[in-house]
Amino acid sequence: MPSGVQMTAEDIARETIVVDGVGKTYGGGTHALTALTDVSFTVREGEFATLVGPSGCGKSTLLQILAGLVPASSGLVAIDGRMVTGPSPDKIGVMFQDAWLLPWKTAAENVEFPLVLRKVKPAERRKRALPLLELVGLASFADRYPDELSGGMRQRVAIARCLVQEPRVLLMDEPFAALDEQTRTRMGNELLQIWEKSGGTVVFVTHGLTEAIYLADTVFVMGTRPGRIIERIAVPLSRPRSIDMIGSESFGRLRNHIWHLIAEVRT
Amino acid sequence: MTRTRRRLIQFAALAALLSLWEAAFRLGLLSPIIFGSPSLIVRAVTQDGWTFAHAFRITVFEIAKAVLIAWTAGILFGAVAASLPALARVSAPILSALIAVPLVVLYPVLIAWLGLGPSSKVVFGVVSGIFPIALNTMIGVQGIDRGYAQMAAAMGANPRQIMFQVMAPLALPAIVSGLRLGTALIVIGVVLSEMLGSTDGIGFWISYHRALFNTGQVYLGILLALLVAGLANAALSLVERFYVRQAANLSVP
Amino acid sequence: MTGWIARLVPLVFVLALAALWEMASRFGLVDPRLLPPFSDVVRTLGVLLQDARFRGDLGFTLSEIAVAFAVVGPLGLGVGFFLGENILAYRMFAPALNLLLSIPKSIFLPVFIFAFGIGFLQKVIFAITLAFFIVVLSGIAAARLVPPGLAMAARSFGATRRQIYLQIYLPAMEPLIIEGLRMGLIFTVTGVLIAEMYGSPRGIGRDLFAWGEMLQMRELFAGVLLVVVVTIICNELLRSIEEFRKSCRRGFR
Repeated sequence: MPSGVQMTAEDIARETIVVDGVGKTYGGGTHALTALTDVSFTVREGEFATLVGPSGCGKSTLLQILAGLVPASSGLVAIDGRMVTGPSPDKIGVMFQDAWLLPWKTAAENVEFPLVLRKVKPAERRKRALPLLELVGLASFADRYPDELSGGMRQRVAIARCLVQEPRVLLMDEPFAALDEQTRTRMGNELLQIWEKSGGTVVFVTHGLTEAIYLADTVFVMGTRPGRIIERIAVPLSRPRSIDMIGSESFGRLRNHIWHLIAEVRT
Repeated sequence: MTRTRRRLIQFAALAALLSLWEAAFRLGLLSPIIFGSPSLIVRAVTQDGWTFAHAFRITVFEIAKAVLIAWTAGILFGAVAASLPALARVSAPILSALIAVPLVVLYPVLIAWLGLGPSSKVVFGVVSGIFPIALNTMIGVQGIDRGYAQMAAAMGANPRQIMFQVMAPLALPAIVSGLRLGTALIVIGVVLSEMLGSTDGIGFWISYHRALFNTGQVYLGILLALLVAGLANAALSLVERFYVRQAANLSVP
Repeated sequence: MTGWIARLVPLVFVLALAALWEMASRFGLVDPRLLPPFSDVVRTLGVLLQDARFRGDLGFTLSEIAVAFAVVGPLGLGVGFFLGENILAYRMFAPALNLLLSIPKSIFLPVFIFAFGIGFLQKVIFAITLAFFIVVLSGIAAARLVPPGLAMAARSFGATRRQIYLQIYLPAMEPLIIEGLRMGLIFTVTGVLIAEMYGSPRGIGRDLFAWGEMLQMRELFAGVLLVVVVTIICNELLRSIEEFRKSCRRGFR
């Protein structure tokens, strides 16, 4: 159970992602805004975890803290046994709701961008980028520019980009939220395929209950005002997932349960 | 219509215009002092060609110096102001209030301080052009979506890499439009200041020959000044075309 | 930063600048012959304003500005409205307009002098030429702002052409018209001053230029100060009217 559980050094070493008593407050004094309070959970290696909750529950903030982009006001975060103090793109890959592809670079060049930052040589960069573009099915679009790609394709380039440094942990902040429903479903399946092929631990933030359950091994339900973890739910569905699981009874029960949890908190 | 055909038509139109102009002159239809003629301009070239060529070089150098200073200082200030919100909030109203001032009133001060030589022209050119460059740079950098910087940080970029590899290209279209306007103002400023008081340069000789009513030389000078303005504009278009990919692709959020 | 603090900042900036000026000059940080103390300049300005000849020059310049603006305002807006409403006319004249806009007009001052001398008329005509194109551009933008369906709807309840113009078009275009006139005024003032500095027997521009040449720095800075202060104040006044009118209305932003 989330709060109040004491973490030991062994816990930190065992789990891949450890979040202990994390809080985030913006501003100070009377104008202080508490986005997160006493958030604690762990994620095992190779696990696919989703964070689901209503808007404003701080799930994006939590992800930014995990990614090292934003410091926590209290508590600690450890990934792969080390405390998170800043971005570490070779260990942690991050994806956002917007792909933020650089418009003057081709798809391949965008995938190579993290390697350019580390001053990797061009030939080596190409060698690492192209297989990833193949993995996301965009090998023939390698030399296209972002304005020639659809929203779904741009997100796929973003996936390839965050995999290029071979991180073991992937953090994704509602990456498919801006896409239409069909593309979203398709991208979800593709993501599962990529994940099953390359392994790794994933934390996936979403506000869609169906998506949260469908993709995950574990669902963390978040409440709002202040943001915190309400419940941790293990998803009993087998892998590989298929679309017709969504219509099954157990799926429906799970969905209703989470829905009620969130609705209660909102009132 | 192919490009060569269009060029031919433009050329023919120009030739027709010049012939009409010359005809009006020879037939005495227009005042020769006010309107001059192509033949008068040609005569001016034979009489004072070398002087004007030398003056052309001087004016171009003055403009080049002013451009160098104004571009550097303007972009620097704009970029810095955009990254420091307090500075931006303070400088924006001041900059926009200053556009009301006719900068030409500062020129006598510059003459008094720096004399009639090239330096007063360069300074006046800088003052004329720097405001739109700084303002456009500031707006351009401020207008960049924060998400790009966050993405780059997540990819492991340090602040310097974020500034030069992400923010700078994104701000480029706005900066270039500021450079375009600023450079045009610099050219006008330099030539105007030469006309008002100078020792050499295109503007100086325009004024010199005006006093002597040498219409041919005056028009030659005007043509050369237009040429300089056109060259500056063309040079900027080249710079812009080099980055046109950026401009075109910036439709993607 | 809340509204009224933001308004205070330029004022504080100006006061700080004046203080800096005073101290730098009085304590010899800059040569007081080149930059007389602020207090001396203000005092000189007071003396000048009591001088009949200076006041005469001031009146001369102001009347040039008034006449030029009275012509270029309605004329420019009229042409602008016409071009904005008529797509055919616009397409026909747009290239010429853009060409004329991009040509620096100040270099044609000698031609203006050949044609009109160095008197009142020449300055007014030059200022009109300088300001005309900006006002036209604003007029075009204003005319394009009006949703075409609005006039059609008004006609359907029996509004006459005159009523449509006064009750619908004009209110819709008002902010852009005010802004266009403001820019036109800035260019008119600039044009008059440039023309006066270039060649004139009377006027503030001529005075400034003469003082600069004679190194009469106190008078020069007094004149510059006057011009700067008056132009900024007028511009800010017009801008606040613009803002006020914008906030009064809804729906036409």
